[in-house]
Amino acid sequence: MSILNEMSEALQKGKKKEVEELVTKAVGEGFTPKQILEEGLLAGMNIIGTRFKANEVYVPEVLVAARAMNAGIALLKPLLVSSGVQPLGTIILGTVEGDLHDIGKNLVKIMMEGKGINVVDLGVDVPADRFIEAAKEHDAKIICASSLLTTTMMKMKEIVDKARAENLSVKIMVGGAPVNEEFAKSIGADMYKDDAASAADYAVTCFQ
Amino acid sequence: MREPCFDNLLKVLRKQVPDRPTLFEFALNDNLVEILAGERFTHGSHEDQPEIFIKAFKKAGFDYASLRGSAFRLDWGEQGAKHSKSLNEKSLIYDTASFEKYTWANPEDYDYSRLERARQFLPDGMKLIVIGPGGVLENVIELTGFDNLCYMLADEPELVEAIFNNVGERLVKYYEICASFDTVGALVSNDDWGFNTGTMLSPADMRKYVFPWHKKIVEVIHKAGKPAILHSCGNLKEVMDDIIYDMGYDAKHSFEDKIFPVEKAYDELAGKIAVLGGIDMDFVARGTPEEIKKRCMAMLEKGMEKGGYALGTGNSVPDFIPVQNFLAIISCAGVDIKL
Repeated sequence: MSILNEMSEALQKGKKKEVEELVTKAVGEGFTPKQILEEGLLAGMNIIGTRFKANEVYVPEVLVAARAMNAGIALLKPLLVSSGVQPLGTIILGTVEGDLHDIGKNLVKIMMEGKGINVVDLGVDVPADRFIEAAKEHDAKIICASSLLTTTMMKMKEIVDKARAENLSVKIMVGGAPVNEEFAKSIGADMYKDDAASAADYAVTCFQ
Repeated sequence: MREPCFDNLLKVLRKQVPDRPTLFEFALNDNLVEILAGERFTHGSHEDQPEIFIKAFKKAGFDYASLRGSAFRLDWGEQGAKHSKSLNEKSLIYDTASFEKYTWANPEDYDYSRLERARQFLPDGMKLIVIGPGGVLENVIELTGFDNLCYMLADEPELVEAIFNNVGERLVKYYEICASFDTVGALVSNDDWGFNTGTMLSPADMRKYVFPWHKKIVEVIHKAGKPAILHSCGNLKEVMDDIIYDMGYDAKHSFEDKIFPVEKAYDELAGKIAVLGGIDMDFVARGTPEEIKKRCMAMLEKGMEKGGYALGTGNSVPDFIPVQNFLAIISCAGVDIKL
């Protein structure tokens, strides 16, 4: 098995230390940072995303795999920067104002980063204006807004309305427990996805 | 006003056809309880005033009133004041040292006399239904934080097991004490297990850490000759057989349209386990009274054919549910009241 396959497998099992050792070893063996990132770390995370979508692994396994991925990326970061490797693009992510739920949002972040996308995570309880400002500041192509409450989901409409009012060239993707496709259409959002892995798959298509 | 008759709900919980349409809610918000009862809570501990709950539930046509058995609850640390909270808000237990430092409340140390005191206020035929101070998984998540729990499952499974054991044995004791009161007709074990897409932990970990304690909770409730109701939100399709055949719950409560609409759930589960409530919360919050009545009437009709169904919302009646929409639901069971 190649060292990059080993890395992918260790990542899928959430073995952080092993991933760190394999990244260091791969660098020593002359693999480029881009190869290590894409064929080792992101490849492993992609498999986790696909298995999560198929209910073959669950949130704890995803979180532990992401921890291993982030440990590997932290080691690679200086090399990625110096070799000019760029993320696919940038998205803005947050849970809408009045809502403090963050598990789903964090999963979207993991899946997006697992696709090589830069995520600006605004956290929870985020006012609509903050999404818009961040999209402008980071030249983001997508705003991803999450809501878990019937009482807060209408805040998503505020984000859509403000983005349209400012003619922002940004797609707005929504998700969360009470949200569905019909609701997304009714507020003029561009996309609804019901799981984090599908959200990341869609985001990739926006950057191609 | 119709008179309460707990035998109706008992028939539902035994998967039989009740004598008349029967209602079930996990909880009503305090403001609605006060409106229905026509009186206000007079002191801080609302559940020490069972008479107000009893009046409110009776007025709304229920055959029971629900409340907690005592003030017992594990210390979750400081709670935020907002409506919404993160499952990662804090972590009181994150390693062996913090586990050893944590002070565990014991259910035996609390006063359950409200369950006896309620007797003087309960009309003939009406019983109490006791709900829990959060469930096995919920309490563990409150103590550890969700992300931390996930990491500990990978890094320190023995510590995770010890935390579940400490929580589980206390909840079993709580239910054992509550079930011993003859004012109590049934008990709800409330423990949210799922996200939209699946269980919060893998089914294998649910079976290892969570379900054995639920099996014990059901055992102590059944030992007292009472039905055990599971209130659990989220996508539980993969563990439904565990709920019915392994844990042995008599009824399942909490359904969401996005996951398992109650009509479909009833088609699949009728005859295996009683189905309670299920009219989706978002639908009840945003629908018109007419839309709600139409759906409730259709669901009641379905449920009165095969039995094992009581009408209610998919979860509970929080304060964002318009009162008119709640009244629309109960009107379908023949309870017409003006507030």
